[in-house]
This record gives sequence, structure tokens and C-alpha cells, in this order.
Amino acid sequence: MKVLFIAAAVATLSGCAAPTLYNWGGYDDALYSSYKDPSKSEALRLKLEAHIAAMDTAGTKVAPGLYAELGTLYLQSGAKSKAAEMYAKERQAWPESAQLMTALITNIQRTAPAAGEKK
Amino acid sequence: MKLAAIFFSCLLLAGCAVPVKKDMSAFAVAAPRSILVVPTINKSLDVDAPNYVLAALPVPVAEKGFYVFPVNTTKFVLEQEGYYEGERIHQEPTPVLAKMFGADAVLYVTINRWDAQFALFTTVVTVDFDYRMVAKDGTELWKENKKLQYQPQNNTSGSPMAILVGAVINAALTRAAPNYMPLTKQANQEVFLLSPNAIPNGPYRKTAQ
Repeated sequence: MKVLFIAAAVATLSGCAAPTLYNWGGYDDALYSSYKDPSKSEALRLKLEAHIAAMDTAGTKVAPGLYAELGTLYLQSGAKSKAAEMYAKERQAWPESAQLMTALITNIQRTAPAAGEKK
Repeated sequence: MKLAAIFFSCLLLAGCAVPVKKDMSAFAVAAPRSILVVPTINKSLDVDAPNYVLAALPVPVAEKGFYVFPVNTTKFVLEQEGYYEGERIHQEPTPVLAKMFGADAVLYVTINRWDAQFALFTTVVTVDFDYRMVAKDGTELWKENKKLQYQPQNNTSGSPMAILVGAVINAALTRAAPNYMPLTKQANQEVFLLSPNAIPNGPYRKTAQ
């Protein structure tokens, strides 16, 4: 009875919600965890890497912002060319991001060391 | 049980037919495609709340059909430019922020409450947020407030919302520290997706339907 009641309440509230547009792969919870405990930003990076790889393999569109968020994690760890690659993917997938992604990529190219980059 | 079933089917039918109360004409004119979610202002006593709330914002706004600028990348870029505090960022004119990122609109969120009041037998968890969306030309497009409270040991209200929120949150509250995220996500869901005053669908939601 109680279970039915809760199920009905959930159905009621979600009744009008349209189907989701994207598979987020747990991005919001992983981002929350990385803010809660900065040592978890590695877990966020691994999660985004695995999720994006799976989506790319399946040919499914990656949710807005995810390529760029992974790119920023790369940039913060010093992996500049990998960061630029992700920013370029974000720009290709989402034209609205073009100005910001181009600015980030230009900044990387301007400051990138020729050799000895941390991967 | 039968009564409850009828009650819920009425809600189901009524839920989609509620007329839009707020004037959304400015939103329709601006027709933003991309939304910059900037770091939040914190008026609560919990110093961690701004980041936690920020993490819960992009999914519901993007699911509404907008391009949402990556919030952690936005935060990083703003810090590079010398903007660390939500208060400082919210003071900056919207056209300046929008131009910096190439965004059509900026979403500002203020955390009014994010607290748990402990009594002998009950705990009341409260979140209260102000939401405000402003177009790149400075026109205010939409604003909303959402306050949600949860009392895990008090099931006397019996309203469907209280039962749902209770169901969503129960697991989280078995921990020693209250987890605000289910309430925060619920607030965002209601404000952006379920409320009759929710923002209109963005371009990606339109093309998907």
C-alpha cells in the first residue's frame, strides 16, 4: 500500500516531465563529490573519460559541457594538448560554446611548452 | 486506496494543464540558446553550499533544452580572471559576463537557506534558493524562489509532495550528517521542469519533441 502510494506520487510528479535529452553518466554527483573532497577530482576525470568514450563508441551525442569539463581537468593537471582536444570536441558538438572554446584553445597554444608536457 | 488512485489520476491530468502564470514574453523575445550558470551567492552559514548547489544546476537547465556552459570550466575561467566570490560575480553587469563567454543569458542563483535544525526527536532540513535569469542585453527574463523543507520523522502532513520528498530523501538522512543534495535537486527539478512558472523549453528540447 505504502509502496503503491509512493509509486503513484512519483508518477504524478514525473507525469509531465518530458523524457530526458541526455545521458549524463553521473556527472553531477561526481562533480559534487569532487567539490566535497578535492581528492575525488581524479574520480571525476576517470568517470568523464569512461562515459565520453562509451558515448563516442555508441555514436550517442555527449551532453553539453562534458567534453569541456574533462578538458579543464586535463588543463589543471598540465595535460594541455589533451585539454585542447577536448575543447575542440566541445566546440564541434555545441556551436554555442565556440567563442569560449576558441579562447581556451588559443590560450593553451599561446602558453603550451613545446616538450616535456605532463600526460 | 481507490480514493488515492482517483486523486492521483486527477493530479496527473491537471498537472499538465495549469496555465502559465508569469509573463514570459521577454523570454520569448530574447529566445536564448545558451545559458551561463555562474557561481552562486551564499547567504547560508554553510561555506560549502555554493559549490554543491552549482554542481546540481547544469543538468536540469540542459534537460530543458539549452546549451549550458560547463559550470566547473566557467568557475575556473572566472578564477583565472580574478573572480573568486559569487557576490563579486553577481555584481558584474550581465552584458560583461555574457560577452566574456559568448552566452545568450546568465543564470544567477542565491542560496538563502541551507540548514538543518536539530531538535530532540526531529530534524528539519531546509533549502531556499532565488533564481534569476538575465539576457545578454541586461533584460531580466525570469525569476523564481523555491523553498523546500523536509522533516524525516514527521509524516503527519500527508501531502503528496511531502511523501515524495520523504521517499527521495529518506535514504540520505540515515547518515549522521544531513545530505542536502536530494532536496536541492528536487528544488531545481520543480523550478526548471515541473512548475507552471518554469522557463520555456530551449531549442534542443523543441527539436527533440
